[in-house]
Amino acid sequence: MAIEIKSPTFPESIADGTVANWVKKEGESVGQDEVIAEIETDKVVLEVVAPSNGFVSKILKNEGDIVNSAEIIGEFSESDSDSKSEIVEEKKDEVIDKAPLTAKAPSKSSANKNGPAANKLISENNLDVESIKASGKDNRVTKADVVNHLIKDQGASSSESSTKPLSNRPEKRVSMTRLRSTIAKRLVNVQQETAMLTTFNEVDMMPIKELRSKYGQEFEKQHGVKLGFMGFFVIAAVQALKKSPIVNASIDGNDVVYHGYQDIGVAVSTERGLVVPVIKDADTKSLPELEKSILEYSEKARDGKLSIDEMQGGTFTISNGGVFGSLLSTPILNAPQTAILGMHTIQERPVAINGEVVIRPMMYLAMSYDHRLLDGKEAVRFLVSIKEQLESPERLLLNL
Amino acid sequence: MYDVIVIGGGPAGYVAAIRSAQLGLKTACVEEFIDDSGNAVFGGTCLNVGCIPSKALLDSSHRYYEASGHLNTHGINIEKVELDLSAMMDRKNGIVKKLTGGIGGLFAANKVTPISGRGKVVAGNNVEITKEDGSSEVVNAKNIIIATGSSPIEISAAEFNNNIVDSTGALEFTEVPKTLGVIGAGVIGLELGSVWARLGSKVTVVEAMDDFLFMADKEIAKDSLKEFKKQGLDIKLGSRLTSSKNLKKSVKISYESSSGTEEMEFDKLVVAVGRKPNIENVFSEDSGVHLDDRGFISVDNHCQTNASNVWAIGDVVRGPMLAHKGSEEGIMVAERIAGKHAEMNYDLVPSVIYTHPEIAWVGKNEEELNAENIEYKVGKFPFAASGRALAVDQSTGFVKLISDATTDTILGVHVFGPSAAEIVQQALISMEFGASSEDLGLTIFSHPTVSEALHEAALAVNNEAIHIGNKRK
Repeated sequence: MAIEIKSPTFPESIADGTVANWVKKEGESVGQDEVIAEIETDKVVLEVVAPSNGFVSKILKNEGDIVNSAEIIGEFSESDSDSKSEIVEEKKDEVIDKAPLTAKAPSKSSANKNGPAANKLISENNLDVESIKASGKDNRVTKADVVNHLIKDQGASSSESSTKPLSNRPEKRVSMTRLRSTIAKRLVNVQQETAMLTTFNEVDMMPIKELRSKYGQEFEKQHGVKLGFMGFFVIAAVQALKKSPIVNASIDGNDVVYHGYQDIGVAVSTERGLVVPVIKDADTKSLPELEKSILEYSEKARDGKLSIDEMQGGTFTISNGGVFGSLLSTPILNAPQTAILGMHTIQERPVAINGEVVIRPMMYLAMSYDHRLLDGKEAVRFLVSIKEQLESPERLLLNL
Repeated sequence: MYDVIVIGGGPAGYVAAIRSAQLGLKTACVEEFIDDSGNAVFGGTCLNVGCIPSKALLDSSHRYYEASGHLNTHGINIEKVELDLSAMMDRKNGIVKKLTGGIGGLFAANKVTPISGRGKVVAGNNVEITKEDGSSEVVNAKNIIIATGSSPIEISAAEFNNNIVDSTGALEFTEVPKTLGVIGAGVIGLELGSVWARLGSKVTVVEAMDDFLFMADKEIAKDSLKEFKKQGLDIKLGSRLTSSKNLKKSVKISYESSSGTEEMEFDKLVVAVGRKPNIENVFSEDSGVHLDDRGFISVDNHCQTNASNVWAIGDVVRGPMLAHKGSEEGIMVAERIAGKHAEMNYDLVPSVIYTHPEIAWVGKNEEELNAENIEYKVGKFPFAASGRALAVDQSTGFVKLISDATTDTILGVHVFGPSAAEIVQQALISMEFGASSEDLGLTIFSHPTVSEALHEAALAVNNEAIHIGNKRK
């Protein structure tokens, strides 16, 4: 008996998704709970798993098709006879997976015969049929599909010679992944819709470094997590936010919304792109707890296991370009937040302290902020507050 | 309680009913047209007074026409040909009876409950069924499909009477009118005009529009007009009927044309100016069903009305008034009620005019493509160059195939000639699969067939026709 394969039920914040990948092709046998398809949404990739042992009997939504929440995307047949009419549930863990850039369309060449003109053109141009987006019935490749593929491949306009490559400098066009295009859209929106500017400062990291070398081992022993830099920055940011609630606020229409909590987003780079897991209620967390959350999130992000919940919200974001060696950069706001702090690489530099030139491990700080809500004075003060806390870690303790 | 009640048993309704029942839905079909013994007669306009009887008469009349001195070139001389009109009508009626009775059999086989009476959608997903004796009952259904069809439009300038008839009346003349006037040079007017012209009537077709067959390919309209005039149809374009006077045994009409007001007198007058959707007393005001701005029942792409679980299909909704369009809508709605994902491809609804030769087309014509700014290529092949067409003495007309200038995808196929409808159907199937003209070009066609003209037209699109000279590149 055929069971409906449904896309996962999306959270409210997700309008629709795209079929990223049919891990299992039509007719391919699959064990219970094995992943059969992946649905890419704006935020994460959701997995669809097999309800039992059996096989995918029909694919209704092809790769690249847009699907709604809990929409039927295919049919599943159980291999044994005690078939229950159950619906394939999405796996509970929502995950980010590696981008299936080389998405393969199901059985374009084998089961369904393409038209003769399409096959001729494919053969003449030595094309891989799997790379051509099929529009015909039952996923057949039409001549138009091949012609459009060739036109797109060259990035050239349609002309008589459109089947011949224009030059030997290869170009490859790959459609943006859902995540990438969402990032692209959001970044442009932020640039267009906010009055963003950046203020800079620098921080002497010696006190923190000394603290780490003095207590690092003990900290790790006690708490089972390394004493990093990020925890200090999160605490410093939380304290600064408490002092300047406007930095923690956001604009909603004509209103300013002040958030009575500090949810700090920590930008993490993954193979799919930048993701920003959010440490909720960071103000209630101790340094070891913060370090643990940060470690857990970066591991999850790396393995593509972050849930939508873990990436929603956030009242302030910290981005660390330093891990890649950036000396100075201007971060872009994570809308609708009002400010974002950019950390950078720590570099030993000669600095003048008390009239003497000394070598200190210095880090440039950059804070981009929405000038609509934040005046320069407040922004600069905020950043100076972070600097001061980090340069005198005892301030972190004293809530200064 | 029924899962589905279909109101109307025409080609949209009875197909919807059968498909619904096939899908395991408890289905009834309500039909108000009854025979002498009070049983519902299914088949609607199409089977009873439309497609089928007209085709029966078109064939009979064509045979008569050929026998009456038109077989000499074949070396067949028939001395005396007699017309037995009542036998011709009996044959037609026999076919109608056989087919309509057949639907009863199909209903029984598929377990569709036939209900005779007039169905009306009322609030709360109910159907009020009024019997012939005036009694009525209200039946509840989870889903209601309205398929009440259409009727000939009556115009005030020529109200129906014994001499002024609609298309139904024109299928039932008991003698061949010496002179026949037809108002409207549309599909129905041309087909009925052809029937009676072949049987000996002097036929005049009065058409208000200046353009002949405005919806068809321009070249076909031009060539077919010439051909029909040659066949004896006097077609007066740009002539608007202003009034008619019913005399005892004839009708006198006045019409206005660019040359002023003219009068003509006919034994009979057929008014075939179009059809209107049957929407009167089909749904109550509180049923939730609405009309669109053109007076059809308002539906979405999936034939769903504004009322949930009430659907409408066929002539009573937007789109061409064609049996095959209604039938496919019926299938789509039945499948959607059963939770399946059927879609109608409204871009590929074929049109046919059963004149001799036939006119048929599918997809877009050149005017439409020009209007949409789509670049296209055209391939044409005349039947005069087709061996089979010459052999069967039907070499009038041509096949025209239009495809996209860039992708070669077939965008439209227009045929005037022998078996035009069947040829268009072949192209239509390929179009449903996104075929290019080259696809048809690379397909083998039986020889000798008139279908080869489609093959050659497809080849001609890319200047590769074998049996006719190609355009110079």
